[in-house]
Amino acid sequence: MSLVELRFFIFAALVVLLYYILPKKVQWLVLLTASVAFYLTYGWEMLPFLLASAVIAYFAGRKIEQFQVAFRKDTAAAKKRCKPVLLTAVALLAALLVYAKVGTAVMAAITELLHAQQLSAFPVIVALGVSYYTFSLISYLADIYRRQDKAEHDFLRLLLFTIYFPKVLQGPISRHKNLAPQLLEQHRFDYKEFCFGLQLMVWGYFKKMVIADRLAIFVNTVFGNIAGETGAHLLVALVFSAVQIYCDFSGCMDIVGGFSQILGLKLEENFDRPFFSKSAAEFWRRWHITLGTWFKDYIYMPIVISPRVIGLSKKVRDKFGVRPGKAVMTVVPLTAVWLLTGLWHGTGWTYIIWGLYWGALIICSTVFEPEIKKITKALHINTETGSWKVFQMVRTFLLFVFARMLTVPGSAYNILRVGKRLLLRFHPEGFFDGSLYALGLDRPNFLLALVCIGVLWGVSCMQEKGICVRERIAGSNIVFRWAIYYIGFFAILIFGVYGPGYDAASFIYMKF
Amino acid sequence: MREKVLEVLERECPDVDFLASDKLVTDGIVDSLTLTSIIAALTMEFGIVIPYEEIIEANFDSVDGLTAMVERLTGA
Repeated sequence: MSLVELRFFIFAALVVLLYYILPKKVQWLVLLTASVAFYLTYGWEMLPFLLASAVIAYFAGRKIEQFQVAFRKDTAAAKKRCKPVLLTAVALLAALLVYAKVGTAVMAAITELLHAQQLSAFPVIVALGVSYYTFSLISYLADIYRRQDKAEHDFLRLLLFTIYFPKVLQGPISRHKNLAPQLLEQHRFDYKEFCFGLQLMVWGYFKKMVIADRLAIFVNTVFGNIAGETGAHLLVALVFSAVQIYCDFSGCMDIVGGFSQILGLKLEENFDRPFFSKSAAEFWRRWHITLGTWFKDYIYMPIVISPRVIGLSKKVRDKFGVRPGKAVMTVVPLTAVWLLTGLWHGTGWTYIIWGLYWGALIICSTVFEPEIKKITKALHINTETGSWKVFQMVRTFLLFVFARMLTVPGSAYNILRVGKRLLLRFHPEGFFDGSLYALGLDRPNFLLALVCIGVLWGVSCMQEKGICVRERIAGSNIVFRWAIYYIGFFAILIFGVYGPGYDAASFIYMKF
Repeated sequence: MREKVLEVLERECPDVDFLASDKLVTDGIVDSLTLTSIIAALTMEFGIVIPYEEIIEANFDSVDGLTAMVERLTGA
């Protein structure tokens, strides 16, 4: 059941109804039942994998807590006993994740190698949302180990945290200590939260169905025929694909965040208008925030405080000087983080390159910061002016567009073909001769996409200035307020992209 | 100890004014990369191992917080 189909609206309305009319003490059971039912609509065979992960986390969490209680006066002894439990559980959870990520490719390779076609009768089952719930469960265990969270004593409660249906497929990667208490609290119906949640959902559907899915038609048409396209068309498609993935993913986050708000729950923010970022590092602090903070807390910081890495830094410092020594402390953890971030997004080598590309950008901007400052000064650039800040934002956006070129074309050969056309067969007349309107979107649809992006940009600018648009709408007179609601609702109804041949189920980030 | 900690911090991160605030992390004066430098410098200078449990805002928000952490970990 996709978030953008009629079945989901009926399901969601039913959940809200039962959630508020049944006794408050069973609210969490309503959510658990609904979440299991929602997950089962994608196929019963995935559920055992999710259950296995939850069982591993449950028993490991309890065991770690038992050791911590038993050795409460001897922290070192407690750690000594807890660490193997933590590492074993994380290894098992990671194994299930790796199985889902590379199982299909490995199975295909084995089938081909052994000419054993009968193996194809046993397809690898990829549990939906495995990357998201696995990371949530690892953070749950690590937080118990660090005494920053408490183990769940009721398996069903941990299961609800794992499978809570608005976030199970695409995140955010919630922390147990943030979400679980909310899921178990009793919530009274709040009309304001209900309205705000509904508004956020409508905004999310607008981003997903009116913008992302419209741009997807153009992007898929162009990248479906790279050989026949000019560089100009490919450039437009790359820019559109950057906006598309933002609207697709952040739109989904608005839908699930809005729905959770209706239930009185607050999910973690996953986006903070990333296209206003002035550097690659800032961009990744504002894009897929929960993934970034996960890597920071569970990969980056453990490496930074590792005596081995600090020892290596000291050795380099003693031998080559302070600056190379400091660079070790930047290069080692960031390389690990970005390699893993690439692998999280996909197991192909293009994703590894993609991860290392972002890692290299962030590492270089940090390590060579003094030189960058010197060059900026030598060129007499006033870094406080608005034009410089706009330049930095455009530059960051273009870096993101370039990164899209590493993943959207689908293969190394296609990446090279796109690059060749961008450099050698650009044909700038393609921007103006009307040929853009023959690539899946006719002229009205193309212009509508631009207008909608303009609306998104305008709203984002207001938010960037600290204006809460939803509060503004709520505080305006009834005519204006309802006009906005109607426009939003009918914009989705009239301009949303659906119909025969349209696969509404395919949110881009669901495949992770 | 406070003077020694401040000396190490100023030597490691000369661009950062550690006395400007007692909410260095919250105010964004100390970001994650500065944090990295501080951890490395204190570890090397005082021969301590900073466990993850100590990486909390309260310890890194001020020179006093950092000094207290170093004293705790060195047993001073």
